[in-house]
This record gives sequence, structure tokens and C-alpha cells, in this order.
Amino acid sequence: MDFFTPIVDDPYDFGRIAAANALSDVYAMGGVPKTAMNLVAFPARTMDFSVLRRILEGGIAVLREAGVVLIGGHSIEDAELKYGLSVTGYIHPARVLAKKNLRPGDRLVLTKPLGTGILNTAIKGGLASAAAARMVTEQMAALNRAAAETMEAFDVSACTDVTGFGLLGHLAEMVSGSGCGVRLAAARVPILPETIALAAMGLVPAGAYRNREFRQAMVVFETGMDAVMQDVLFDPQTSGGLLISVAADQAGRLVGALQAAGVKAAAEIGEVTGAGQEMIRVV
Amino acid sequence: MKEIDARGLACPAPVLQTKAAIENEQATSVRVTVDNAASAQNVARFLQSKGFATETETRGGDLVVLGRAAAPAVAPAPAPPVSAERCEHRRIMVMITSDGMGHGDDRLGAKLMISFVKTLAEMGDELWRLVFVNNGVKLTIDGSAVLDVLQEYEAGGLQILVCGTCLTHFDLLEQKQVGVTTNMLDIVTAMQLADKVINI
Repeated sequence: MDFFTPIVDDPYDFGRIAAANALSDVYAMGGVPKTAMNLVAFPARTMDFSVLRRILEGGIAVLREAGVVLIGGHSIEDAELKYGLSVTGYIHPARVLAKKNLRPGDRLVLTKPLGTGILNTAIKGGLASAAAARMVTEQMAALNRAAAETMEAFDVSACTDVTGFGLLGHLAEMVSGSGCGVRLAAARVPILPETIALAAMGLVPAGAYRNREFRQAMVVFETGMDAVMQDVLFDPQTSGGLLISVAADQAGRLVGALQAAGVKAAAEIGEVTGAGQEMIRVV
Repeated sequence: MKEIDARGLACPAPVLQTKAAIENEQATSVRVTVDNAASAQNVARFLQSKGFATETETRGGDLVVLGRAAAPAVAPAPAPPVSAERCEHRRIMVMITSDGMGHGDDRLGAKLMISFVKTLAEMGDELWRLVFVNNGVKLTIDGSAVLDVLQEYEAGGLQILVCGTCLTHFDLLEQKQVGVTTNMLDIVTAMQLADKVINI
């Protein structure tokens, strides 16, 4: 279940993004979402109901794309608009993918580019191009369904979806308790266009700094690693991609299969190193 | 000194206020007070991207970012906005393999190449290495129409590499007037180190 305040101006797009985001947790576990319920907080006295209609229509459009049935929901009046969904899915208990089963030698694959936090900050400030704004909306509204269905056929040891803690924050969650370390190749991480330039201008959301403060003890950056790049790796994502730990000899095929399934940004970004310190080394 | 009180504001508001001060009011020195580390770092980074030297100090529970324009003044004229927003660590390598740009008319190609070499400056500090191979080495010798431009680039710190095998082949080793004579290992290593290689 997940819900949040609007992150884009268009109500229909907000609905799509909220739905894709709420469904993502089920996909990250390797499950198939089946039913959903709307959660709505709406300022009925100050906002026209047509806005709410557009939000719900956006949500339903994505649910339909995911093959999920909307079975109800609940709404309250609130000064601040909020929308999200509670989603229920199916999965065989033996096939549940956890975050913490990293296996030494595995490769890490990421399915969506980073940068939504930085780009949304820039959009708020009117400093991102219209093309970038459109692109980030589409990326946030894109389901992780194809990625989840594709990885089913591969030897995957662990998976999570990258959201508010940023890539390194979620990677740290996977690493802690796993007994393994991770080596991340920063140059291979897919990043949305304009993100680096905007981050270099200081358009980094406060969440990225909080993420870094919380996890920096677990992360070692190679000497000389660009500070801007470090922020991008901690940038909080909205409806981010799946981070998949897959058997080394299958990584190349998984990336190829993901791209063939329309997950164009999918890339291998690092590897799980053997038992030892639970640290993330960024090179 | 332009004073900005951005306490109580969330990102990106402190950066936007600072941006307005230096772009609309052409402030050359600013003092921005914020109440959290994230805003302080963002403001400092923004000022640095605009060529300001910055210092951050704590005052009580607040953070004060001081910024001073490094150059004479932030006249909007000379620096193209693109280079001002550069990311410090990107390295672009441009490899020039011919003395003309494109195929078709050779005289047009030569003209375009002159314009291309002169306009490369717009890449700003991201332009990291300029490598000349094959017919391209003829741009680095006596009588080249872009020799003075290249010498200026080199004086400004740009690394210019010129293929030794190519100079020898054309018997131009003595006439080369700019850049360091190089070999294929250097070129391949440069390609590997660069963040982007542009082939002309």
C-alpha cells in the first residue's frame, strides 16, 4: 500500500503514477497483483470534483493495464490532496523474492533510470525542459510489470523496488543482514537526461541528503567520485525500477530479455561480492 | 552584498531565490541564510556552477553561505549558459580524423572544419582532449587555418594529442606547431578514460 501528495500538475498523470507506484511492491516480490482499493484524501471545499475524477481515471487506466480489478476504496476530506492504493496480489510462498537473499557472485540489474527526485525538484523550480518533464512523468507512470514477468524465468536471488531511499539506500537494505558486500559501477547506472546538469546546479531534493546521512556509513565511494554523482545515487525515486540480483551467467540474457520486453533502460550495474563486510563500494 | 534569508524554505526555493539575485539583480556577492544542510549544499553548488567562490559557516542553528563572483563580474555576455551549468567531472574527447568536415565538397568541408574547431570552445571545461589522426594532423602544422585557435586552446590547458605515425606518414613531423605527438596506446587509453568520445 502506498499513497502520496501530488508530484505532477496533471491530475490524470498523478493518478497513473500513484497506481504504478502502489503496484510496484507486489512486482518487486515476484507476485501478480489482482485487486486494488483506492485511498483518497480530497479538499472537497476548495477543489472541483472533476480533479478527483481525473485522478481516479488515471489510476484505473494503469490498473487495467496491469490486469488488476478495482474493488472499492475509502475517501476522507482533508486540506491536502492525497491519493494511493492498497493492492493485493498472488504469489506462491516458495517463490517470494525477498530483499535480503543476496548471493555472492550475483550481478545487479536495474530496470529504470535514476533522477526522478532531482528532475521533479527542477520542474518545481521551472528549470527543467518540457521534454524532460514529459519523460519523467511517463517513466513514473510506467509499470514494473514487464520487468517482473521477465525476471520470473531467471535465477533471481533477491529483488526490491527503488523508491524513496534512492538506489544506494535500497541497496543498503539489501546488503544489511545478507553477509555480502556489493560493488556498484556508477558509470553503468542508467540516469535520466538533464539529471546530472540539474544536480550540479543544486537542484537536489532534501531527501537525497537525508538518504546519504542515514546510509553513508555503509557506502565507500572511490576516491575522486563526483559529489554530484553521489547525490544522484541517493536521489529519492518515485515509482522507480526493480533492482534485481541475478546469477552471474544469466545477467546478460536477463538484460537482453528486459530490453526486448520494452524495459529499455535495463542495465547491469554491479555485482555481489563474497562474504565479508556488508559494505557498498561505488567505483 | 545581497542578503537572502531562505530559512524555513524547502528545496528548490533557496536555490531559486539565489538564482534570481545573481541573474536578475546581477549580484556579485551574496549571503544566503538557510536552516538545513541540504539547502546550504544546494545553494553552494548552484553558486559554484555560476563561477562563484563559496564558503559556508554555521551561525546559531542556521547555515550561512557566502558567495563571491570569481571573475571581474558576472556580465551575462561572454560565458554561454551551457558551459556555466557544466558538470565538473565530465570529460569529452574529440577525435578529428580529417582536415575537412563531412564528405562531398572538399572546400566546404575545410570551411566547416575551421568553424567546428573554433566553436569547440563552447563545450567549456568539459572539452578534455583533442586528438588528431590521419588527415586531421594537417590542422596542427604551419599554415593551418586553425593553428592559432589550437595554440590558444593548448595555452588554456586543453590537452591536444597528434598522431605520430600519421605525421611521419605525411612527412610533417617537423612542421607540427601544436600539441603533443602521441601513439595509439595513448589514444586508446584516452578513449577509455573519456566520458564521451566524439568522432569527426
